[in-house]
Amino acid sequence: MKKGIIAFLLACVALLLGGCWDKLELEEQAFVVVLGLDKAPDGLVSVTFQVANPQVGSSDKGAAQNEPPSDIVTFAAPDILSAKEIANSVITRKISFAHLRTIVISQAFASSKLFNHVIGSSIRDPEMRRETNLIISRERASEFITRNKPRLETRPHKYYAFMQERWRDTGYVPFSTLNRYFQRLGRDTLFLSIYGTTKRVKTKYAREEDQYLAGEIPQQNGDPVQIMGSAVFKSGRMVGTITGEETRIALFLRRKSMAHSYISSYPDPLNPDYQVTARVIKDGNTRIKMDLSRERPDVQVTLPLRAQILSIPSFTDYAEDPRKQEKLRKSIEDSLKAKIDAFIAKIQQTYECEPFLWHLVARKHFWTLKAYQAYDWGAHFSKAKINVTIRMRIESFGKQIGPPLPLEIEEDQAG
Amino acid sequence: MSDKGNTPGGIPENMPHHLSERLDENLTLIKHLFAFPDNTALIIRNLRVPALDAEAAIVFLEGAAEPKLIESTILEPLLAKPSLPYQQPDKLEAVLREIVTSPSGKKLVELQVLPGELLKGNTIFLLEGEAGALTLETPGFQSRSVTEPQVEHVLKGPKEAFIESAAVNRSLIRKQLKERQLVSETISIGQRSAKDISLLYIKDLADPELVTEMKKRLKAINADTIANLSILEQYIEDRPYSLIPSALLTERPDRACSFLMEGHIVLIMDNSPTAMVVPVTFWALFHTPEDQYLRWAYGNFIRVVRILAVFVALLTPSIYISVSTFHEEMIPTDLLLAIGATRERVPFPALIEVLVMEIAFELVREAAVRIPSIIGPTIGIVGALILGQAAVEANLVSPILVIIVALTGISSFTIPEISFNFAVRILRFIMLFAASFMGFFGISLVMTCVITYMVSFKSFGVPFLSPLSPHYRSSKDLIVRPPVWKQWLRPFNIRSQDSQRKNKPEGGD
Repeated sequence: MKKGIIAFLLACVALLLGGCWDKLELEEQAFVVVLGLDKAPDGLVSVTFQVANPQVGSSDKGAAQNEPPSDIVTFAAPDILSAKEIANSVITRKISFAHLRTIVISQAFASSKLFNHVIGSSIRDPEMRRETNLIISRERASEFITRNKPRLETRPHKYYAFMQERWRDTGYVPFSTLNRYFQRLGRDTLFLSIYGTTKRVKTKYAREEDQYLAGEIPQQNGDPVQIMGSAVFKSGRMVGTITGEETRIALFLRRKSMAHSYISSYPDPLNPDYQVTARVIKDGNTRIKMDLSRERPDVQVTLPLRAQILSIPSFTDYAEDPRKQEKLRKSIEDSLKAKIDAFIAKIQQTYECEPFLWHLVARKHFWTLKAYQAYDWGAHFSKAKINVTIRMRIESFGKQIGPPLPLEIEEDQAG
Repeated sequence: MSDKGNTPGGIPENMPHHLSERLDENLTLIKHLFAFPDNTALIIRNLRVPALDAEAAIVFLEGAAEPKLIESTILEPLLAKPSLPYQQPDKLEAVLREIVTSPSGKKLVELQVLPGELLKGNTIFLLEGEAGALTLETPGFQSRSVTEPQVEHVLKGPKEAFIESAAVNRSLIRKQLKERQLVSETISIGQRSAKDISLLYIKDLADPELVTEMKKRLKAINADTIANLSILEQYIEDRPYSLIPSALLTERPDRACSFLMEGHIVLIMDNSPTAMVVPVTFWALFHTPEDQYLRWAYGNFIRVVRILAVFVALLTPSIYISVSTFHEEMIPTDLLLAIGATRERVPFPALIEVLVMEIAFELVREAAVRIPSIIGPTIGIVGALILGQAAVEANLVSPILVIIVALTGISSFTIPEISFNFAVRILRFIMLFAASFMGFFGISLVMTCVITYMVSFKSFGVPFLSPLSPHYRSSKDLIVRPPVWKQWLRPFNIRSQDSQRKNKPEGGD
């Protein structure tokens, strides 16, 4: 028994030696919820921290009246982790990235060679998580973070959490995380990242509501941030932007897409003055077939879709006439196909690479990775013959099938 | 009188071993043994038996024997029977067989068993000229009537509980288990004040080795006296310093019967409102009779709730500590900020906070058990409301702690078996310290040790986690149970002699 007690006490002592060293109480840490990256002179990177203040907007019990919901500070440093150390000379609590969900990167920095090195080296820190979302801002990231004062959300992390869910629904922006970025660093594919801004560049009024890039959306009042379209990365560097509509197409052409439905408007075939609004839903996976034996690869893409017609402003009675339905279906298909073909052509010419993840399909045609790399899919893609077939069916015409007014009355009035 | 001078029967060595032929000598011996006349409880009634034309005496202890019973079954026949030629040549035999009407009695000649008979509530009949005595059963101990269980409640199922009388308890088991082979063996233990322990088992089911082992352990007990089963449990258990119990005390006859039918042994003793079941496994501690009484879906639902409660009771405080001091990234940001905001004004580290609240809760709990029941209800209000709320108001603890401690407390109440309940509550503190040193790593370390220990622990030769691990064939009545008609196998880990309850049902597996 005595032996047992001694052994137990010794074990307890070992326990004391064992741990504790990375123990830190919650209130002793400053949780960075948004990180901003900008170019700084002399090859440095300017890192902006937005630190959440727990005492504002979280709990009634511990609320502090005269404090802001977050603290924003910017430091120039060689990389993110050294900036984190410097920040502790200003911020009293230990900086923690454990709850970092959003990184904002300025367009200028993302286009520079330094970007890949800074972001690539930061991932060694266990606190940097691969599911962190990336947002590319048109202006400086520090400006983006400072100007982003959402009206409905007090706490900054909540704004980004809610927005990211909406973005996934609409498909205007891609799902872009650090992990995806690292996955798509290769020369055979393009990485798409969320594009946003707090500035208004030029407002253009487009007939089809998704042909915008962030900053171009006609908006009055409301939050300053606009998120629309994507930044295109090739080999870890930003090389261009695509609009919201193009982003949707790019996501749809992937074999499996995360955004599997979106609402958009198309020309009304029987009444060209109007548009028809429909929710287009992906009806299964996109089928991609390739023939890589020829110098100009032949790519056959079949896109199965179903459409739910949501509004017909022209009041045409599509729902009751199968022939008109067929016309509508054909018209939506054609309009989609025209857009898709134009977009693919643009991608082929501009980037010599593709964001559709077709390289995964192409890779299957090779026995070894070496053979695939030697093939250079990017170069072959740019000259490939791509034929997209859309198979669409109209699923429903909404809750009310007929137009709201009886057609006779309208004809009477017309007569 | 020194203990050394005593023989096992409690008789001083210098006294004769056998009764004498002379009545007055015998009476003097008995008086001496029971410290008469200081001890007024010893009652001696002299009488003349007309049927035998001899002087006689009956001796009994006040409070142990029932005077009315003595009057009707012994005195009346003795005094009323006329002098007839009796068929038995031996006079005492004649009294026993042809005169008294007691349901049971026997003749004894040795002096050393006589005090024990008196203490059991029997009446001693002595006759002039006979070197022997009759002991006649006239028990008169007071005990309460059979009531509802106080600890093991069920909503659906029998509502009888054991009481402090072994005879009644055995009767309650007999009532439920009409079984020819149900054996009730009596073993007497204790050196000074011997107590009878009834060993109940089904002869053609229970493992004979287990029965032998049990008897061996009972006989090996070296004690002055054994007050009741709770004390006995501590004498015969496998590992006295273990957190895990090796026997189960139940106050429900139906539960005892179901264990008997699986081949377990049940011990019953006077002054214990419980029956002791050996061997036990984790499952015996975790199950309640309600699980089987409720229909399949309902019974399994409460089982799942309870297994969840075991883990909540064991781990919640330690998970909170490790998540809030080592693994902040696991808490949703909103909750993290809310905890952080309230923690900012609390002067203590999270571990102290948890300890303060946990100890306060254990205090409330202990107080609630010890408090006289008439002021009991106040403790609930004082404990739950004032302590928790006031501690938060005073910035002693953060509000989330109240939820954690309350949840832990509620969960620990769902653990039905009191020994297991204590084991979980003590382990919780060990977990807490491990978590505060090493976070989840510490928790998993302790958890590994606990599981390893449980797997290697044996209760009377039966592994504690069997039949799950080590695996034995059984009806799979473990965490969840199959429908009753599919439970056709007795668990093999108990080594029952008949492994099947019934033939394999159609569709059963």
